[in-house]
Amino acid sequence: MASVSRQLLTLALLLAPCWLAAEPDSSPSKLVSVGKIQPQAVSEFKEFFGNTFGHQGERHSEDETIPAKGVLPDGEVPDSAWYVNRHAKQRMSRSELQRGPGNSTPPSESGHWTIISAKTEGITPGFVIVDTAGRKFLIKFDPYDFPELASGADVVSSKFFHALGYYVPENYIVNFDATKLVLKQGSQAALAPRQLKKALARLRKGKDGRIRAMASKFLDGEPVGPFLFHGRRADDPNDQIPHEHRRELRGLYLFSAWLNHTDAKSGNSLDMVVTEGGIRHVRHHLIDFGATLGSATHEAKSARQGHEHLIEFRPSLIQIATLGAYVPKWARVQHSKSPAVGAFEAEAFDPAKWKPNYPNPAFENRLPEDLSWASSKIAAFTDSDIAAIVETGQYSDPQAAAWITKNLILRRDKILAQYATAAVRRKSMPTAAGR
Amino acid sequence: MWRVCLISLCVVMKLWAEEGERVYAGTALEKSRPPQLETDEAPTIDRAINNASRMPVLKLLRGAHGFRPKIGSPVLSSGPAGGIEYRVGDPWDGQVLLRTSGRISVRRYIHTDAELALPRLAGGRIFVDALATYRDYPQLRYFGQGQNSGRSNESNFRLKSSKVELSSGIRPVRIFRLGLTGGYERADTLAGTSSEYPSIELQFPPRTVPGFALRNEFATTGAFAEVDYTDQKTSPRRGGIYSARLNNYVDQNFGRYSFRRLDVDLRQFVQFFNEQRVIALRAHGTFSDTSRGLVPFFLQPTLGGPETLRGFRNFRFYDNNAMFFNAEYRWKVSTGMEMALFTDAGKVFPDRRDINLSGLLTSYGGGVRFNLRQSVFMRVDTGCGREGCQVWLRFQDNY
Repeated sequence: MASVSRQLLTLALLLAPCWLAAEPDSSPSKLVSVGKIQPQAVSEFKEFFGNTFGHQGERHSEDETIPAKGVLPDGEVPDSAWYVNRHAKQRMSRSELQRGPGNSTPPSESGHWTIISAKTEGITPGFVIVDTAGRKFLIKFDPYDFPELASGADVVSSKFFHALGYYVPENYIVNFDATKLVLKQGSQAALAPRQLKKALARLRKGKDGRIRAMASKFLDGEPVGPFLFHGRRADDPNDQIPHEHRRELRGLYLFSAWLNHTDAKSGNSLDMVVTEGGIRHVRHHLIDFGATLGSATHEAKSARQGHEHLIEFRPSLIQIATLGAYVPKWARVQHSKSPAVGAFEAEAFDPAKWKPNYPNPAFENRLPEDLSWASSKIAAFTDSDIAAIVETGQYSDPQAAAWITKNLILRRDKILAQYATAAVRRKSMPTAAGR
Repeated sequence: MWRVCLISLCVVMKLWAEEGERVYAGTALEKSRPPQLETDEAPTIDRAINNASRMPVLKLLRGAHGFRPKIGSPVLSSGPAGGIEYRVGDPWDGQVLLRTSGRISVRRYIHTDAELALPRLAGGRIFVDALATYRDYPQLRYFGQGQNSGRSNESNFRLKSSKVELSSGIRPVRIFRLGLTGGYERADTLAGTSSEYPSIELQFPPRTVPGFALRNEFATTGAFAEVDYTDQKTSPRRGGIYSARLNNYVDQNFGRYSFRRLDVDLRQFVQFFNEQRVIALRAHGTFSDTSRGLVPFFLQPTLGGPETLRGFRNFRFYDNNAMFFNAEYRWKVSTGMEMALFTDAGKVFPDRRDINLSGLLTSYGGGVRFNLRQSVFMRVDTGCGREGCQVWLRFQDNY
């Protein structure tokens, strides 16, 4: 009996650090059912100015750094409503990587797509459609002068973020005839036929007369607005860790740097109330990857993006003081000539200096441990994994796909060289040469 | 703080500059639309501005039911102006533009116009435009004829003009336009109303000012051609625009003021360092054939001002012919802001046979420009020349 007690005591002592380190979290096993969740709106204006000219959320002080919370003793992030260890935990097959969150429910090939709401003005139009199976999709188009740019980036990056561990929507490349789109009949029609005709006239058609677009399937559940990259959602009992201290959000910095997701912000996230295993809870998604890789959604990225915030004092001052004689490296490197690629390269890429459009509180709080964790996820992607995912962008120009693949590989290697632990490097390097 | 002010200014300027985006939606479905759809097409800063522009007070500035504010000076030196514009909403699926507007400036410059345009006939290969304009500009500057006119001779005059013009042409390929114009103009020149400067007749003997104090009426015919292969309509970074316009003015009242005019405008843009630097070059010439008569002074080309020689005052030099050259080195400072160093050179001359590069007036300077969606919406240029320095605030790109 004494022996059993000693063994139990030993076991308890061994496990204690795990329990002490792992704070309350929204991992599936610990989720509690939520009540009424109020949909929240995020003011993009406030977010932009608040983060550009101020500091939101809790930050490190000179005396104290705040380590990521809710992590396991080995530094791993537990599976939760925020994050699920996927490719790095257990290698996904080529088809699983390409499938992403799902690729079995694209908009129905048969019958019409009924437009139920639309944005016809602005640079590129967008429609919400319902297919004959009753599924709802957001249809987004490429900018006229940059065919395949935004749609390719949106689909490719959604697959990467899924494999990296985030919840993302199912995104599809679709090619369809304009006659497939019909307007919802009746007084609640989304738009007039002539407005639809005018909007479609502004889109580039392929040689076969069909239109290429990206179809994003509406997420399951009840939408309750985006999540912030700081603070917590007060009405979600599962949301116990300030977002700026979540490793999966701090580490998102490195994933965003890799994929050049310069528009990583609250506005491109969405919380959904879902019911799983009888538990009603909030699941946190990343959405809208149209501004990743070389795409700025409505045009190609500026070479500056990823290297400077939209508003940044020091680089501006240098440019003013030198009358433009100082030319940053990112302005000197070569970009692809393909309009489907945009401004995406690896030569000037420095993972430590990459910047989103404006400061992100969780990114600003990143620590070496967070980046090391993130780099271990990136290390899981072999060259062929990367090529397989880029294929899902369905680029008609093989050189465009090759350019994106090559530069993702080079960016990955720069990240690993800088952040991966020796163990991770040892693990990934043997296959690096030929992988 | 200055950056906050700048962005605030961007918000207002954007409202003035463009229609913005509207969302058409079925009401019930729209109301239940999840926030997922709020991810629109604009980049962050534009989206922030778009969101701000949805504020009720600012919405008023955008206009409604076809009416919207019309802000902007009708002519250099008029001072700030404002008014209203009415556009008939999207007739014939956007194939027709029908609009009218009226503006008045702080110096009581009045400008009204009405336009009917069919810009995209035959799949965009044919265009037609009819424009009627009424102008009453009470204090236009005049310094005398020629390049040697004295700055101290500044005077002013009033121009009242009514004009109708019809132009039509073809666009056989996207970069090339060719067309014809015809019109009629009635113009009265009167004593200026400025209290700062003497009226023109007090400063110059009327015989030295061709066409002054007369009711001039002209029938005009003309032709134009343009090649434009720039990368974007406004604030281009690469490509060129080459245009020529020939106009024939036939004096309907006196027979003394009939003349022909050729305008040639050449612009070239060269980008480097991933579009972070642009060299912009421009050469412009206006040449008059005065073999049949005189060019009325108010139709003479002028030099001086933010579009020509930036080191000289608006309308500083008048004559039958003018030519000028601009060269700018532009460099991006940050997203939405660029700076420029420039030099201008030009001259006016009475006889078109005097075309040469001798005696060019020069100016030089620098400026700062603010962009939205890669188009300049505001610029501040400081130009210096032999008569000192001038500061220009303009709400459009130079060229």
